[in-house]
Amino acid sequence: MAKKIKQIAIYGKGGIGKSTTTSNLTAALSRQGYKVMQFGCDPKADSTNTLRDGSYIPTVLDTLREKGSVNAHDVIFEGFNGIYCVEAGGPAPGVGCAGRGIITAVELFKQQKVFDELDIDFVIYDVLGDVVCGGFAMPIREGIAKHVFTVSSGDFMSIYASNNLFKGIKKYSNSGGALLGGIIANSINQGYSREIVDDFAERTKTRIIQYVPRSITVTQSELKGKTTIEAAPDSEQAKVYTQLAERIAAHEESEVPNPLELDELRAWAATWSDRLLQLETGVVVGGAQAGI
Amino acid sequence: MGECLERPRAACSLGGALVTLANLPDVVPIIHTSGGCGGNLSAAIAFGAGYLGDGYCNGRASPTTAVSETEVVFGGTDRLTEQIRATLELMDGKLYVVATGCMTEMIGDDVGGVVGEFRDGGAPILAVSTPSFKGDSYHGYDIVLDGIFNKYLPRAERKNPKLVNLFGLVPGYDPFFRGDLAEVKRLLAGLGLTANTFFTPDQTFANITSAPGAALNIVLSRVWGVETARNFEEKHGTPFWVTDLPIGPEATDAFLKEAAERFGLDAGESIESGNREFYGYFARGADLFCDGDLKRYAVTVTNSTYALPLSRYLSAELGWVVTDSFVTDKLTDAQQEALADGAFPIQFLTGTQEIARALKNNHPDGRGQRYFDDISPLYIAGSTLEKRTAAARGANYLGVSFPLYDRIVTDRGYAGYRGGLHLFEDLIGQIMSVKS
Ligand SMILES: Nc1ncnc2c1ncn2[C@@H]1O[C@H](COP(=O)(O)OP(=O)(O)OP(=O)(O)O)[C@@H](O)[C@H]1O
Ligand SMILES: [Mg+2]
Repeated sequence: MAKKIKQIAIYGKGGIGKSTTTSNLTAALSRQGYKVMQFGCDPKADSTNTLRDGSYIPTVLDTLREKGSVNAHDVIFEGFNGIYCVEAGGPAPGVGCAGRGIITAVELFKQQKVFDELDIDFVIYDVLGDVVCGGFAMPIREGIAKHVFTVSSGDFMSIYASNNLFKGIKKYSNSGGALLGGIIANSINQGYSREIVDDFAERTKTRIIQYVPRSITVTQSELKGKTTIEAAPDSEQAKVYTQLAERIAAHEESEVPNPLELDELRAWAATWSDRLLQLETGVVVGGAQAGI
Repeated sequence: MGECLERPRAACSLGGALVTLANLPDVVPIIHTSGGCGGNLSAAIAFGAGYLGDGYCNGRASPTTAVSETEVVFGGTDRLTEQIRATLELMDGKLYVVATGCMTEMIGDDVGGVVGEFRDGGAPILAVSTPSFKGDSYHGYDIVLDGIFNKYLPRAERKNPKLVNLFGLVPGYDPFFRGDLAEVKRLLAGLGLTANTFFTPDQTFANITSAPGAALNIVLSRVWGVETARNFEEKHGTPFWVTDLPIGPEATDAFLKEAAERFGLDAGESIESGNREFYGYFARGADLFCDGDLKRYAVTVTNSTYALPLSRYLSAELGWVVTDSFVTDKLTDAQQEALADGAFPIQFLTGTQEIARALKNNHPDGRGQRYFDDISPLYIAGSTLEKRTAAARGANYLGVSFPLYDRIVTDRGYAGYRGGLHLFEDLIGQIMSVKS
C-alpha cells in the first residue's frame, strides 16, 4: 500500500528565517525516523545549505539549462541523516522568468513521480518571500502541497507578507489548493512581539504552531554550516525544533485563512503602534523613577 | 467573466505587424516569440484577406526564434542573437525588423539591447514591441510604421515639395489596400504629385527611405495611421492630413480639390477627366440599374476605415438607403467619436453573432406579412462572415471586408473614380449572378 506523502510549503517574508526553520524541521523529522525531502523554491538556491555542511548543490534549472532535460534523480542530493535535498534554482538576476522556473522544477518532479519511488513521508517546500506572481504560488496551487505554514516574526512587514500569503491561499482554496496549517512564530523573545503575532493569528482565525525564540545557538550552528538539530542536538533550541516537527507530523487539518483587507491590516497595525508607544513611555517613566 | 471571442475580425498586434512587414519591399521580419505564433498569424492573413498569400522571407517563411520553456525561464536573448545572426547571413533584405510576441514581452527580454548591438555593428535592424496585450492587428500596423519611419529613419536633408506618403490602409485588414493605394497614387499623379504607397508592387525600398522628405502625409483613415503621422510630424516636420478614403466620383472630386488646395494646385482638369471616365462607363450600366429596379436597402459591416466611405458611396452614388453601418474594429471612445457622422447610423460591434442579432432587433422580420418587412430588398456589404447572415435574410451580399475568403483580391480596389466603377460592377454583378 502506498503511504500518504505529506507535502508542506513554508512561506514568509524574505530573511525571516524560512530556510533555517525548514532545515531544522526536516532535520528533526528525519531524526524522528521519517524520510524527508527538502525542496528549495528560491532562485538563490541556498535552502538546503545547512543540511549539507554549508555546500551548494546543482539546481534543477542549472541542469535543465545545461542538458536541456532533467532526470529528477540527478538533482536530488543526500544531506544530513539521509535527507533528500533539491534546489529549484532560477535564471540569472534580471533575466527570464523565475516564477516560471519554479513551476518548471516542481512540475518536473510531479511528472516523474519521484516521491513514490523514494518512499518519502514528507516533502517540505521552502518558498521565497512574497507570493509576487503565479509561479511562487505553484506549491499552493493544484494541491501540490497540502499544508502551508508561514514563518513570521512580530514585525509588521513580516505580518504583511503573511497576510498576503493568506490571500493567495484563500484564492486557490476552492480549486483544490493548499490550506493554511498555521504560523511558525520566529525570533520571538520580547513579550510584546509574541502578543502581536498572537493577536494577528486570532484576527485571521489561524493558530501559532510553535514559538521559536531567537537564539545564538542557531547562529553558531549556521556558522558551522549545520542545522541546530545536527550541531547542538541537546540544546534548548533543538528541543523547540523537535517539538515543531512533532506537531507538524501530527498536524492533519488545515483551514482556509481569513486574511485582513489592506485597510483593516493598517488600522490594526496602528492600534499596535499606539500600544507600543505607551509601553515605551512606561519604560521611560520607570527609568526616571529609578533615578536614571 | 472574459469576453467570448467569436469569429474574430483581427488578430493580435504581432499579426498586424507581420502582415505590414510582409508587404513592405525588402523588409525582413524576425519574430521573437513562441513557436506557432508566426505560422498561425500569417495563415490568418494568407487565406483570410482575399488570399493575399506570403512574400519573400515573409508569412510562413518568416525567421522566428520559436522560444520555448528554456528561453522563458532563462531569458530568450541568446536565442534572439542567434536568430538575428543567421537571418542577416541567410536572408536578403534592406531592413530587418524584430517583432516581439507576448511570451518574450512577459519575461521582459531586453530586445532593444540585443538589436542595439547589431545596429552598432552596422546592421540595418530595429525592434518593435508587438505583444497582443498592446492591442490588435490594427495597432500592430501603427507600431511597425512608427518604428520604421519615426524611430529608425533619419530626418531628410531636404524636403521634396511634390512628394506625399500614404498611410491608413492596413494591409490585409483592408483587403483592397493595394488597389486603393494604386488609385489614390494615380489620382495624385494627375495633380503632379508623387505618392509613396509603400505597399504596392511598384514600390522599392527607396520609397521607404524617401519618406522623411515628403511634404505631406495623407492618412486615409480617421483612426489608423494617425498616430504614426502625428509622430512623423514631430520627428520629420511633415504635416499630415486625415481624410476619408474617397470612393466614387463625389468623394473623389472633394478629395482632389482639397489635395490640390494644399499644394496650391488646380484640380479642375483631373476632376473633369475623372468624371468623364466614370460616367462614360456608369451611364451604360445605369440602364440595367434603373430598369432592373435595383434599388436596395443596405447594411455595411466593415472596419472604421471603410465604414463611412462605403456607406456614403452606396447612398450618394447609388441612391441606396443605408440602414446600419457596423464598425467592427475595436476603438477607444475618442476614436469612436472621430467617426461620428450624422448621416449614417454607426454601430460599434465586433461579434458576428452580435451583429446578426442587432440586425434582427433593428429590423424584425415580416412574419409573413407582406408590407411588414421594413428593409427589403436588402444588400449586405461585409466580410465573408456576413454571408450566412445575408443568406438567412434573403439579402444580396458582397464581401468587402476582413475576413474575406470567398473571393480573391489582387489589384482590385474601390477607391477613386475607377474604384467607384469596380464597386458598382461587383455590387450589381452579385445581384445578376443568379442569371443563367
Ligand atoms: N530563531 C533564530 N535565531 C537566530 N537566528 C535566526 C533565527 N531564525 C533565523 N535566523 C537567522 O536569520 C538569518 C536569515 O534566515 P534564513 O536564511 O533562514 O531566512 P529566509 O527566510 O530563508 O531568507 P530568504 O528569504 O533570504 O531565503 C540567518 O542568518 C539565520 O541564521
Ligand atoms: Mg531562504
